[in-house]
Amino acid sequence: MAPIIEVKDLVKKYRVGSEIITALNKVNLKIEKGEFLAIVGTSGSGKSTLLHMMSGLERPTKGEIWINNVLINKVKEKDMATFRRKHMGFIFQSYNLLPSLTALENTVLPLILQGVGKRERTKRGKELLKLLGLEERMRNKPNQMSGGQQQRVSIARALINNPKILFADEPTGNLDTKTTIEIMELLTKAIKEKGQTLVMVTHDLEVAQYADRVIHMVDGMIIKEEIVKGGVQVNG
Amino acid sequence: MFKLDLINMAYKNLWRRKVRTFLTVLGVLIGTTSIVVMISIGIGLNDFQRKTLEQWGSLNQIEVYTGMMWDAEGNPIGDANPLNDAAVEELKSIPGVVAVSPGYNLGGRAIWGKKEGYLQLVGLDEKEMSNFEFEIGQGRLLEEGDRFNIVVGSEVGMNFRDRREMEMMDRMYRQGRMIRMEPQENKTSEMLNQRVTLEINNYNGQTKRYNFMVVGILSEKNRDKSWQAFAPIEEIKRIRDFTMGGGRNTETKPSSGKKSSGPSPDDYEFIWVRTADVNATKTIANELRERGYQAYSMADALEGIEQTSKTMQAILGGIGGITLLVAALGIINTMIMSIYERTREIGIMKVIGASFLDIRMLFLTEAGLIGFLGGLFGLIFSYSISKLINHLSADFINQGMAAGDVAYSISLIPPWLALFALGFSVLIGVIAGVYPANRAVKLSPIKAIRNE
Repeated sequence: MAPIIEVKDLVKKYRVGSEIITALNKVNLKIEKGEFLAIVGTSGSGKSTLLHMMSGLERPTKGEIWINNVLINKVKEKDMATFRRKHMGFIFQSYNLLPSLTALENTVLPLILQGVGKRERTKRGKELLKLLGLEERMRNKPNQMSGGQQQRVSIARALINNPKILFADEPTGNLDTKTTIEIMELLTKAIKEKGQTLVMVTHDLEVAQYADRVIHMVDGMIIKEEIVKGGVQVNG
Repeated sequence: MFKLDLINMAYKNLWRRKVRTFLTVLGVLIGTTSIVVMISIGIGLNDFQRKTLEQWGSLNQIEVYTGMMWDAEGNPIGDANPLNDAAVEELKSIPGVVAVSPGYNLGGRAIWGKKEGYLQLVGLDEKEMSNFEFEIGQGRLLEEGDRFNIVVGSEVGMNFRDRREMEMMDRMYRQGRMIRMEPQENKTSEMLNQRVTLEINNYNGQTKRYNFMVVGILSEKNRDKSWQAFAPIEEIKRIRDFTMGGGRNTETKPSSGKKSSGPSPDDYEFIWVRTADVNATKTIANELRERGYQAYSMADALEGIEQTSKTMQAILGGIGGITLLVAALGIINTMIMSIYERTREIGIMKVIGASFLDIRMLFLTEAGLIGFLGGLFGLIFSYSISKLINHLSADFINQGMAAGDVAYSISLIPPWLALFALGFSVLIGVIAGVYPANRAVKLSPIKAIRNE
């Protein structure tokens, strides 16, 4: 079976003033369907750039990115929005909820953009929030919720459309240890149930241990790859 | 994205920044109000002038006189046509003409009961009287079969004074003393069904008396006719014949068919033409001039006035337009500020799948909504200001108006103006939103969501 994500000889160079910085240096990576991959590295290692490339938010300088058998560096930016909406979900470190919308409205935002009717999307949003333990918070605005609750809303938003791939950029970066464990368990459970693929960027090695596979990046290159046995073990 | 979701979202975004939104809307409100009020004053003044003009003569009536017309270089235009029965028939055949009546003027000393005065008589085709813009106050208009019946204007009675009073004033005048005329009470309405005797002297020194019965009194609205009395034309013609020599046979033959025979004493003094509407008045008056008649109508004056008020409307509207332009700049400013603040939000929306169109539509809707709100409240405000202007100006503009007349307004907001204002302010909002929306569309999602 073809991998759901395949990265071939990916190069990304930035020009900062007169200097050219190589963020990614010939990265090759295959991610299977249903896999939970963690990308670990210090800041500036290129891990976030790799995530952005794979989600079509940034264009590579060289190389190919195949998602679901589509070469996405050839997809126009205009159509990329639709592609992301259909196939991808996003979770960020700073939650990135829209402050003017309630938890429920934030959750169903991808459905709003897709033009799903109000009754249908409200039903789906409520079910999902209930599943994530946010039944009491549906009508709250983001600034009326704790960090963990906000992150759960953003997970709900990422899951609402049943995407094949989830991208998470430091999802627990702003959370305390207890909430981190909660969120990670929730996330792992959710994707495993539906067989979704999750690509997570983190600098936290412990959090990375929730993944099936961990790759380590330094200076835009993958330097180490480890398979985590048993999944949810810390320090394997 | 559904339109309703879009509007809902735009509304929420605006509501989040209440003070800023309020101030921007206020700008549009002031712009809309100034445009609407300015134009409404233009419309109101135009309407007022038109109605005033109408009071002094119908806009649907042409007075035709005989005489040559000359062009700017002094060449005669057409021939001078005599006003005879042939002319009456000719005028009747012009399309757009509703009614035609020939006429004479005749004036003389008259006696009404114990009072004496001067009576200005106009002889008209009694069958056609109801086709002209006469409004009867009491009694009736002239009808077919009337002979020595007259209809008097609403102030004719004020020409009559007590005989003794007249003699006294005459004496005082001869003694060289100041004469102070007491303002007369209008007792015209008492003339109904009373006899008025007209005394006519002819060139041969003969005097004849004619008795007329007042069968109707015109309404005060016929202000241009308030000092005149109207009688059947045949009788006036007979009286005229008497004054012109007395020797003539009163049973004159109509001088029909002799078009170019030159002026004849039997010719009419004038012919009234009633037209369907103002536009017909203008075209028919021009045609009559081309055919060799002198034609006068109030519509001629109207043209000049309309030109003036159009210019005034343009100036007033322009002032309002500038205000709205400033408001549009306010919208642009607000939207750009908003985009700076919401860079992150726009980025998130893009990442989770908002298309270019979604983003553009969202910002255009927000800008349009500001325009709409400003337009709506501006319109409500305009109506209040318009009311206030009319209230304040009512005292001097409606001065001396007859009771029961519709009050004039200096400021008029017709429905088309309200709709135009609302549509225009939405349009201004949307146009002002184009540049900010494009900026939002071009924002890079990466820069927007990068963790800081």
